[in-house]
Amino acid sequence: MFMSDPANGKLSINLETCTGCALCVLACPVDVIRMDAATAKPVIAYPRDCQVCYLCEDDCPTHSISLSHDISNSRRYSTYDEFGLKIADSQS
Amino acid sequence: MDVLETDVLIIGGGFAGCWAALRAADLNATVTLVDKAYVSRSGASTMSGGITTCPLDTDDLDVWAEEFIVRGSYMCDQRWTYQLLEGQRERIKDYVRWNVPISRSPDGSIRRFASRGMVNVRGMQYQPKVAMRELRRQITARGARILDRLFITELLTADGEWPTRTGIAGAVGFDVYNGRFIVIKAKRTIVSTGMIAMKGTHRVDNDCGDGAAMAFRAGGRLVDMEFTFGGTFNVLMKKFDFPSYNVAVAHGARLINARGERFMQQYDPERLERSELSHVVAAFAKEIVDGRGPVFVDLRHVDDSYWSDIARLHRGGSILLTDHVPDPKTHPLPIEPTWGMWASGRSGLQIDLGARTNLYGLLAAGSVAKNDATGTHASAGSPTAFCKVSGWYAGATAAIESRECQHPVIKDDLLRMLREQALAPLRRPTSSNTPDILHDDLARLEASVVDGMILNGEKLTRMLRTTETVLEATGTCRANDLHDLVKLHEARNVALCAGVVYRSALDRTESREQFFREDHPMTDPSWFCWHGATMNSAGGVDFDRQAFPTEGAKLKPESPDTPSLGPIGAIIRGERAALACS
Repeated sequence: MFMSDPANGKLSINLETCTGCALCVLACPVDVIRMDAATAKPVIAYPRDCQVCYLCEDDCPTHSISLSHDISNSRRYSTYDEFGLKIADSQS
Repeated sequence: MDVLETDVLIIGGGFAGCWAALRAADLNATVTLVDKAYVSRSGASTMSGGITTCPLDTDDLDVWAEEFIVRGSYMCDQRWTYQLLEGQRERIKDYVRWNVPISRSPDGSIRRFASRGMVNVRGMQYQPKVAMRELRRQITARGARILDRLFITELLTADGEWPTRTGIAGAVGFDVYNGRFIVIKAKRTIVSTGMIAMKGTHRVDNDCGDGAAMAFRAGGRLVDMEFTFGGTFNVLMKKFDFPSYNVAVAHGARLINARGERFMQQYDPERLERSELSHVVAAFAKEIVDGRGPVFVDLRHVDDSYWSDIARLHRGGSILLTDHVPDPKTHPLPIEPTWGMWASGRSGLQIDLGARTNLYGLLAAGSVAKNDATGTHASAGSPTAFCKVSGWYAGATAAIESRECQHPVIKDDLLRMLREQALAPLRRPTSSNTPDILHDDLARLEASVVDGMILNGEKLTRMLRTTETVLEATGTCRANDLHDLVKLHEARNVALCAGVVYRSALDRTESREQFFREDHPMTDPSWFCWHGATMNSAGGVDFDRQAFPTEGAKLKPESPDTPSLGPIGAIIRGERAALACS
C-alpha cells in the first residue's frame, strides 16, 4: 500500500447517524476529514492518507465511523514476503 | 500576512510541547503553541502505548539511574539521568492529580512492572488520549494561545541567514485550512515536533522530522543521527495494529517461532521478550533467516489485567478483544516488527540541562531532541518520560530567559521571501512528481527487517542518493492544494533528515548498540562520544565528536571500551545464541 495508490475505502462515515459535531475532523492527525459547509457534515476529503489510527472512530460520540480492520498493513515490505513465508491467521 | 508576537513559541503539541506550554505559562510568559494537526490528537504521544517510567517517592533513584547509565553504555550526561527521574516523579503526580486513568492494583496503588529493557526500573500504564486532552485543558486554562492546523515551514532567523550567526527569532508558516501566511515573532522558540519517521510506515504519520529539519537548516546541531534506526512491533502481519508490544510483554506475552519455541531464551535469558527492542528485532530476523519463522505473539500466558487494561486504556485495544478471529486468548497470532527511521531520543537536537540547543533563542524538547538521560538504551517508558521532563525544563528556561530580551527587528523583505518559499509550490506547473510519489520514494528506503538492520557503505550511499534526489525534486514539485502543500514540505523535511542519518551512518566506521555495519562490525573505542552533525555555509554537513561530560558523573565506565562485536552483529551471526547456550 503506497501513498500514491488509489484510496482503498478504509474509512466510512454513516451520515444518517452523524450529528455533524466535527470531533472526527479534530481527531484526524493527517487531515483526512473535513467539514462540508453546505451539509454541515464531515466528508472524507483525503482518503488515501488514512492510516487507520482509530482516533476518529474512538472520538465519534454516535459511533458513526467505521474502519476496515481487515486491510493489508501499512508496511511496504514484509520480511515474510521476502523469505516466501506463507502465514496463516494463527498458529494451529 | 498575519504577524503575531509572543514570549515563547512552541512548535508541536505532543507531550513535550504541552508540558513546555504549561510550565512557561505558569511562569507568566505569553505562550503560543502551534501544531499542524489538533493539539491533543497529534503525533506519537496520543498514539503511544501508554507506558511511562514510574518512579515514586519511595524509590531509590540511584538504583534506577545506574541501570539507565550502565545499560546505555555510559553514553549519556548522567546529570540528565537524575534530572529525568526526579522530574518524572513529579509529572506522575500531575497525572494522578488530573485523574488520568492509570492501571491500578486491587488495593488501589499504581500497578507497576519492570520496564521493557530493564530489571530494576519500573513503568506504569495510563490512558494517553485522556492525558493529552487534559493537557490541552490545562494549557487553555492558563491563557496560553493554541493555534491548531498551522504548518510551520521555517524557523525565523534574526539575521535572515540559514545557517544563522545570530539566533532564532520565531517561525513562519501557513494555516492548513485557508492558506494564510503567519509570522510568529518569539523571544524564545521551542521545537517539540517529535520523531523522524517515513510517512506512511507507522501510523504516526505526522512525525516527519519537521523540527529537526528546520533547526538543521538554521544551523542546529544534531547528534548521533545514525542511532535513528530503530524498530517496533506494531503490526499483526497482514491484519491490523497490535496494541503495544511493551504493554503485552509487561503482562507476560511471549514470542514463539514456528516450532513453538520461546526463542528469546537463546538471545536474552534474563529479560527474554522484555529485552532491548533492537535485540528482539534482531532475534526475530535471525529466526526468519534460519528458517524458524513465522513468529507469533503468544497471549495465552498474559495475566487478566492485560485484557482489562487494553480495553480501558488503549486506543484500538477493543479491536483485538472483539474483532479478531481466531481468539487471541487461545491462539498465538503472527506478528512482524518494523525497522527503520524510528527513534525516540536516541538521536536528535542536542540540548543542555535547560533544554537549550546550540542556537541562541532555540530550545528543543521531546523526541526531536537527543535524550541524554538514557544514552543509547531507551527502555519502554523512558521516551515519554523524557518528553514530559524535557518539555517542562524547556518551558521554564524559555519563560525565564524571555524576560530579559526584546524581539529582534525582522525586515519585511525577509518575511515576503519566506512567504514565497512556503507557498510557491501551489503556483508551479504540473510536474511528473507529486508529494505522494516523493513520500513513496522515501518509504521504499525502509526495506525489510533483515535488509534494514544489516547496513554497509554501499547500501548507505545508495540510500543517501535517493534522499538527495527527493530533496531536489521538492524544489520543483507542484502542490495541488494546501493539504498537498503540507505533504510536500513534509517530504522535504524527511528527505533532509534521512540524508543526515545516512551521512552520519557513513561517517561512523564501527558498529555499536542497534547500529550495525557489516563492513565495520566491531566497536571502535574512538567512537565512544557524541557524534555531531551541523550544516555548513556551503550546504554540506560538518561532523564532530564530543566527549561525554565527567562533571556530575557518579559512575565511571567499568572497563575500557575494547573492540567487540556489537549486539546486532552477535545475534545475526549466531554468536549471541551460542553464548547463551554455553
